[in-house]
Amino acid sequence: MNTRNVIEIKDLTAKYDDRVILNKISLDIKKGEIFVILGSSGGGKTTLLKHIIGLLRPVSGEITVLGKDILKMELEEFEDVLKKIGVLFQGGALLNSMEVWENVAMPLEQHTKLPESTIRNIVKQKLSLVNLRHAYRLFPSELSGGMKKRVALARAIVMDPEILFFDEPSAGLDPITAAELDDLILDLQKKLGITLVVVTHELESIKRIADRILYLQKGQNIFCGTIEQAKALGNEEIDRFFGWKEKTKNI
Amino acid sequence: MNVTDGNTVTFGDEFYSSQIELLLKKIEEIKLATKDKIVLDFKKTKHFDTLALATFINFEKDPRINSIFSEEILKDIDEFKKNIDYDEKAGGEISGFESFVLKVEDFFSQMKSVIILSADIFYYSYKAVFNKEGRKKGSVYQQMLLIGNNAVPIIFLLSFLIGLILSIQSAAQLRQFGASIFLVDLIVIGMILEMGPIIAAVIVAGRSGSAIAAEISTMKITEELDALKVMALNPLKYVVAPKMLAMTVCLPVLTIIANMVGISGGFIIGVLYLDLSPDIFINRAVSVMTLYYWYQSMLKSVLFSWLIVIIGVHFGFNVKGGAEGVGKAATASVVAAIFSVIITDALLSLIFYFEW
Ligand SMILES: Nc1ncnc2c1ncn2[C@@H]1O[C@H](COP(=O)(O)OP(=O)(O)OP(=O)(O)O)[C@@H](O)[C@H]1O
Ligand SMILES: [Mg+2]
Repeated sequence: MNTRNVIEIKDLTAKYDDRVILNKISLDIKKGEIFVILGSSGGGKTTLLKHIIGLLRPVSGEITVLGKDILKMELEEFEDVLKKIGVLFQGGALLNSMEVWENVAMPLEQHTKLPESTIRNIVKQKLSLVNLRHAYRLFPSELSGGMKKRVALARAIVMDPEILFFDEPSAGLDPITAAELDDLILDLQKKLGITLVVVTHELESIKRIADRILYLQKGQNIFCGTIEQAKALGNEEIDRFFGWKEKTKNI
Repeated sequence: MNVTDGNTVTFGDEFYSSQIELLLKKIEEIKLATKDKIVLDFKKTKHFDTLALATFINFEKDPRINSIFSEEILKDIDEFKKNIDYDEKAGGEISGFESFVLKVEDFFSQMKSVIILSADIFYYSYKAVFNKEGRKKGSVYQQMLLIGNNAVPIIFLLSFLIGLILSIQSAAQLRQFGASIFLVDLIVIGMILEMGPIIAAVIVAGRSGSAIAAEISTMKITEELDALKVMALNPLKYVVAPKMLAMTVCLPVLTIIANMVGISGGFIIGVLYLDLSPDIFINRAVSVMTLYYWYQSMLKSVLFSWLIVIIGVHFGFNVKGGAEGVGKAATASVVAAIFSVIITDALLSLIFYFEW
């Protein structure tokens, strides 16, 4: 095991019922990098993410997170791993019965013994970080889609995780907010040394933040490496995705 | 669109879906008028929409229609046919018997998952008795208010009315035999053993069982459950255990209330209608009310409370679809809970009655 790899996946195969969604995916994610997962819609990106964070179990393969084989451990042990990662879901997934600040405070309240006042200060700081001071006492139903995402981000980083997973962080955000989110992501990586695993379709954002990319096509890993390497590869679908080669036939 | 000669219709540059109805009517008229083939001449037609296109394809199937299309139309028809060339049902046709088999299999797999789920719920709830970790502060207390406290008025009212009515109906019969005093036995045993636990369980299933199913299914479809899991919070600890603990305490307490209030309904009838003296009623009631009856009553209500929670949680976790699924989960959980409460009640009553 290479200590610089925070995530190692070997021959991961996943199915929903009988349909193969991921076919023998292998990859390593290095400490401190921003790793972007790309691919066409329905290609299996969300499914891959859910396997890495243990929400789904693969048919076969190995998944190692922070040096531990997550498929061979007890729930309690796995929860210790989970405390070191943060996840931002495609739809935010805030708890609707709680105010924004309670949502953000939840991991701290559950997993630390910090006094209430300290917790509140941490929550306030994280909410400022995502530009949502005014939303402190609101309920999730009173937020816009983009605000929900930012609250979910604040919640995901409230425990200062070592790895952060994002499923389409900028989908549905305006370009300005999306760019700010990218800044925030780069900031987190630089200041805290967080490893980020991001699923996204936004070309701008990929070009700005990605250290390495993984391209999934119908559950196959067709490329894993830097953007320069992808360009050099000359794969037709990847070229089309990035707009490096115009599609000749118009629709 | 104009009819050139008895059975030929010629079309202009455009043919849109708004004209279809008129055309179909015309075709019917021509069909009635002649036995010859009808000729539809679309040679000049260059502009048309999808509905028109789909109609053209249908004309091809009609043996009495001979349609002549422009090149544009022919090209688009080819394209259209390619796009509709796949099966609608991904899983293939299912016959009646197969669907019956599937239903039976589904029932057994549901049973299996209910058993596993119950084991998990018992495990985490038992642990939650001694350990407050992994749930929101004060959540058990909050659930007790919701499940127990808020149900008191309606249970009070309904069990009083049922006690009253049961007594009135039987009082008339008992008086004929001069056996008025046995009203006390009847109402005490009837309420404690049967009516009290059932009334409380049915009301709580309707109020809280459905609420549990609705809450959990909503959390599932909005991915809140997944979010809890990846925050290293077990939904069974965080969401379910507080409900289980609160329910296990509240339903027996509500049952005690229902029992006592129901009996006091009987007291009113006994004293006012059967002219029993209050002293006699109370003495008799106390002597009939053995600990063994109370033990049965409490046993029932504890079992019912677990049934209601487990069923609500099961339907919540297995929700399918969106908002509609939440409604279905809530309804299904109430029906299943009341059903299984009554079945369990019948079994327990038989077991106790025959002292098996
Ligand atoms: N719960 C499920 N049950 C059955 N099939 C599913 C389920 N979730 C996803 N799938 C299937 O798995 C495949 C991959 O889905 P996934 O959500 O991983 O795609 P994705 O790459 O994240 O797409 P998108 O970019 O649109 O979010 C799809 O074909 C989808 O139909
Ligand atoms: Mg997705």
